[in-house]
Amino acid sequence: MDFDFSEAEQKFAVEVEQWLVDNHDPEVMDLTRENFSQLADTPARRAFMKRLAKQGWLGMSWPKQYGGQEIKGVYEFILNEALARHGAPQIGKGVGIIGKTLIRHGSEKLKKEFLPQILSAEVEFAVGYSEPQAGSDSANMQLKAERVEGGWKLNGQKMWTTSAHFADWYWVGARTDPEKKKHDGLSLFLIPMNHPNLEIQSLPTIGKDTTNQVFFEDVFVPEDYMVGKQGSGFRYIAEALDLERFTMFTLSPIEDRSNLLVEWVKSATRDDEPLRNDVNVRRTIAHIVTDTHVAKGLSKRFLSAAMSGGDKPPSIESSEYKLFTTTLSQRVCKDALDITGAAGQIREGEEDAPLAGRFEGAYRATLNETVGGGSSEIQKNIIARRKLGLPKNF
Amino acid sequence: MDLALTEEQQMIVDMTHGILEEHCTIEAVRQVEDDPRGYPEALWKQFAESGLTGMLIPEAQGGGGQSLTEAALVYEKFGEFLAPVPHFVSSVISARLLIQAGSDDQQTEWLGKIASGDAILTPAWLEPDRGFGEVGIQLKAKADGEDYLLSGVKRHVYFASASDRLIVLARSGDGVDLFLVDPNAEGITLSQQLSQAGDAQYRVDLDNVRVSAKDRLGSAGTGWATFNAVLHEGIILLAAQAIGGAQKVLDITVEYSKERVQFDKPLGAFQALAHYMADSTTHIDGGRVLVYEAAWNAAMGRSISRFAPMAKLFACETYREVTRVCAQIWGGVAFTIEYDCQLYFRRAKQLQLSWWDTPYLENLVASDVLDKD
Repeated sequence: MDFDFSEAEQKFAVEVEQWLVDNHDPEVMDLTRENFSQLADTPARRAFMKRLAKQGWLGMSWPKQYGGQEIKGVYEFILNEALARHGAPQIGKGVGIIGKTLIRHGSEKLKKEFLPQILSAEVEFAVGYSEPQAGSDSANMQLKAERVEGGWKLNGQKMWTTSAHFADWYWVGARTDPEKKKHDGLSLFLIPMNHPNLEIQSLPTIGKDTTNQVFFEDVFVPEDYMVGKQGSGFRYIAEALDLERFTMFTLSPIEDRSNLLVEWVKSATRDDEPLRNDVNVRRTIAHIVTDTHVAKGLSKRFLSAAMSGGDKPPSIESSEYKLFTTTLSQRVCKDALDITGAAGQIREGEEDAPLAGRFEGAYRATLNETVGGGSSEIQKNIIARRKLGLPKNF
Repeated sequence: MDLALTEEQQMIVDMTHGILEEHCTIEAVRQVEDDPRGYPEALWKQFAESGLTGMLIPEAQGGGGQSLTEAALVYEKFGEFLAPVPHFVSSVISARLLIQAGSDDQQTEWLGKIASGDAILTPAWLEPDRGFGEVGIQLKAKADGEDYLLSGVKRHVYFASASDRLIVLARSGDGVDLFLVDPNAEGITLSQQLSQAGDAQYRVDLDNVRVSAKDRLGSAGTGWATFNAVLHEGIILLAAQAIGGAQKVLDITVEYSKERVQFDKPLGAFQALAHYMADSTTHIDGGRVLVYEAAWNAAMGRSISRFAPMAKLFACETYREVTRVCAQIWGGVAFTIEYDCQLYFRRAKQLQLSWWDTPYLENLVASDVLDKD
């Protein structure tokens, strides 16, 4: 049993930390965007990603033949957590979901076209799975892909495509085989995001950022931009989510928010009494700190399982981590507002906002964490079925 | 980072499991509920022969010299099998108090016998209407020449009637002291008090009980510091016990939910119940890794001032909540003596209330976080 990172891993963590301090840039790094800070959505942030690429830190776990270093995923974990701690863009969908799926299932053409661009941070992707009728029921995608001369013609609508307004390419699931069972009738496509027949509409959120809905009207996709086999789309999506769910919700921002709150409580007063002497505040802090350690433990459990190898990604560990951590993330924000009291409602930018309004903002921004990336209820279904062996219940 | 057990750790787990499976059946557990001695002798004999009774005692003093990590794994098994044994009071708390503060003579006299299971020692700590902290120790130790006279009341003294010595926390002119006291000494009255978990615990009345200064552990006034440090180690093991109990009651509940049919389908096919169980297993896994990390930190010689109370706080809350949810899934039968679910339900709450309860643990964590600069 060993809970420490290895010497080499610790050395890497120090190296990354130093590099991030040296490359600090407020235009790139913004903790107040919370989980949305992971997006490389401005020219400055894309330039930052190129610097990351130059460090050789993109695709570290990829096979050497595709430009990777074949080193353990733990290094990507360390890097991603450090990026998140600084509010910097993260290694993201390209290296993760899309790159890894292309490596396993993509054609030579798609590999050649996209993998080098991912490694050099020259391409940003948007992911299109959700639809008006396919939320948690993600296999219920209705976006129609009809066979036409030389390829496919897509019609329909996608929801929650967060990166649509800045991405270069669109990674999209569509129904190619409507006569088959719903899981077996889907295929994956790559579409240039600037395709004239795509219409992007912004859906502003209660956080700082926007998400989008995207409308498809006779969008032509050439044959060779279908990813892998026709009808295997859902399998690829599920496989990649098992691998990547973990990276979508980093722990360090929660840890940092907990620490931030603790430091504030240490110096705050109410009615001239130190707030840290308040029994209710002490109780709340004790639970936040304890639960944050538990979340960290669950992440170590996932990492340890992932590093000990095996063919299958540790999807149960990943689901338990996601379920516990995102719930905690929201609870910490809620508790922080309770602790700051009436002043907690004052927004960022107002002079009197406690902790510069961080928790009022985070309270909003974290709302979606228990929904996106597979809702808490979906995680519980996964755990119930795959871990406990309970019968299918819906 | 590697959270897997070593081969040696796995062997200890397997050995403990084997002993408990044979000698700590549910029937044996039920049989000693409310029993004045409180533990099956055959089981204790097995513990002694296997070396479990001495695992936290250094090899030089007749023990196995194992670390808190191995002990945590063993305690998880105790929780799983509801093992009714004086191991915690004797082989953990008393042994560690002796190791920390005992004189050579005291160690020579008792550690070997604790390790071999031939002697049982138990702390006499809590007092009526007093709390878990240092200030709660008000039982009087009045100096009388070379001796002390102890007077006052202790409660929750586990396995007192089976013990060879009590380790009494008392307040002398110097502060809190620990005294080795023969439970058969003049002026001592033991009265069993039936408890939620049905274990053998006693109220101990002390009326001018004469003890020698030679029977004090450590120098005068150092008793609380010693006890506090030992209890920090100890509660990690109780947290492990809680995780073991929670895992077992969930396991039997999951199995039941696959067989029991209502509305023409197994209970486990109802999402409301499946989600209870998914939440439970997630919290148990989270608690387990916290407990292991706490034990591992102790074994590495790192501070456990935050980890130990966090571990017991979270593990005991999880255990209690899991037993509540499991009872809900079993339905009406969980309310009966006949079904086993109640055995865990009662023990979970008692464990949470004992050896530092939730408010005390919360305050320990908060102090470590907020009161240090």
